[in-house]
Amino acid sequence: MSVLAVSNLTKRYHRGGKPFAAVDEVSFDVGPAETLALAGPSGSGKSTIARLVLRLIEPDAGRIDFEGANFFALSGAALRARRARLQMVFQDPLAAFNPRATVARVLGDPLRIHGIAPRAERPRRIAALLERVGLDTGLAARAIHEISGGQRQRVAIARAIATRPSLIVLDEAVSALDVSVRGQILELLLDLQRQERIAYLFISHDLGVIRAVAHRVVILDAGRIAESGDARAVIADPQSAVGKALVAATPKLVRTSQDAS
Amino acid sequence: MNRLRRFLRTPEAIAGVLILALLLVMALAAPLFFPGDPQAIAGPALLPPFQDWRLPLGTDRLGRDVLAELFHGARTSLAVGLAAAAAALLIGAVVGTLAGFAGGLVDEVLMRVTDAFQTVPGFLLALAFVSIVGPSLSVVVAAIALSAWTGPARVARAEVLSIRERDYVTGARVIGMHPLEIAFREVLPNALPPVLALSSVIVAAAILTEAALSFLGLGDPNRVTWGGMIAEGRTVLRTAPFLSIIPGIALVLTVLGVYLAGEGVVESTAVRRSLS
Ligand SMILES: Nc1ncnc2c1ncn2[C@@H]1O[C@H](COP(=O)(O)OP(=O)(O)OP(=O)(O)O)[C@@H](O)[C@H]1O
Ligand SMILES: [Mg+2]
Repeated sequence: MSVLAVSNLTKRYHRGGKPFAAVDEVSFDVGPAETLALAGPSGSGKSTIARLVLRLIEPDAGRIDFEGANFFALSGAALRARRARLQMVFQDPLAAFNPRATVARVLGDPLRIHGIAPRAERPRRIAALLERVGLDTGLAARAIHEISGGQRQRVAIARAIATRPSLIVLDEAVSALDVSVRGQILELLLDLQRQERIAYLFISHDLGVIRAVAHRVVILDAGRIAESGDARAVIADPQSAVGKALVAATPKLVRTSQDAS
Repeated sequence: MNRLRRFLRTPEAIAGVLILALLLVMALAAPLFFPGDPQAIAGPALLPPFQDWRLPLGTDRLGRDVLAELFHGARTSLAVGLAAAAAALLIGAVVGTLAGFAGGLVDEVLMRVTDAFQTVPGFLLALAFVSIVGPSLSVVVAAIALSAWTGPARVARAEVLSIRERDYVTGARVIGMHPLEIAFREVLPNALPPVLALSSVIVAAAILTEAALSFLGLGDPNRVTWGGMIAEGRTVLRTAPFLSIIPGIALVLTVLGVYLAGEGVVESTAVRRSLS
């Protein structure tokens, strides 16, 4: 059974007075411990899908089943409780945290809100989380702005896994990091997926990264699905015009696919 | 200490701080220097200043010690000014945060209420409130706060509107935080700096409003206030003008001190912000 099943999801916005569909009849699903990538040019609706899946915005039509239950049927306290299972990592790890927060507070909040650890036990849990994402436990007392971008993104991942989610949405989560840090973060994500069986909805415009981490890929164009399938197969031989354009725009990929042929 | 040095960079800020420090000393030391009731009769009536070393600023129409009244008046002015400004900032910050964060109908209703309060001149509102409820220190504080919270509310709302779109607020929703906790723990503290920048103007206005209420006889009758002293002196303005002039000068200096010190704070934080 899939962790996330999205069917006929539609979200309309107004542009210049006219309604247009930012997300148009999109359907896909994500299995347990699977990574589904969403790719597509800027404005194709990737972030809008992420926000719909996380119920940060409401759709105009369609349905989302999360862990087998209609996600849109939830509201209030029931929805907040359910959020423990569905987490997110943002692109900009500095913007993703309250500028006044410390690392300990950022990690302690989900533990407190979902009653995962009583106050006395929290420091130990926070230290364990930091260790789990490869950070020094001494970082807990630091302010968020006092650690590096790569460390911050690890803290963001630690926060996301604090409530033991079955799905994490990553919207361009590695795009703002430089190449060496990006590799380490991707390693960490893969390792967490193997150990904790977390599914990822992985949004990226970088097909190289997608090929490295995703099992399947959905390529979007103007809110619609242009093509989808096995990540390696689609990237090696895209059928849609957008797919071809995306592959052509990633120089490293062109070279390696030529090497392969 | 660095912050203090930056704050004390301008002569205006130094002057402001000195005035406020003097005022604070007067307010705190009033019961030490002038124990007992400042409204008690201390000597002959209408003694001019600098005649008797025991009554350096002379006495008023009833023979009360003007210097003692001035010291005790500083206490009232400062207490009312600070308490009213704190209450106004608190009400404003809470209303503005709720309106800006909740949006929709809540925002609409709260902002209409704010509009309504803003259309009535603040002083009239305070006046009406005190005449209905009756003069006492806490009523005066409430009346002044009631007439001063709309500015902070608008500033807080505008700031919250920009903050609530930030990723970290979305992040707080994603981890399942309650909306009220998001509003007051995540958003409000980050919306405070521009709201607090209003505090010097509000404290100054609150001190003036308190004086004006007392002048009209709507202050707490059991306390000496500068406004009350000015009103008292008015009846003998031709023969003993000093009775109105002395508390008048104290009032002007205090408002000036609050304003200058406030400007210094705003300036030093602005410099810090542009540096970072
Ligand atoms: N709140 C909104 N109001 C109006 N239009 C919006 C809103 N949010 C998104 N859109 C529009 O919806 C479309 C899809 O936006 P979205 O952010 O999902 O794109 P994206 O695929 O994430 O792009 P990028 O790769 O640049 O992040 C865009 O045309 C965008 O302008
Ligand atoms: Mg996006």
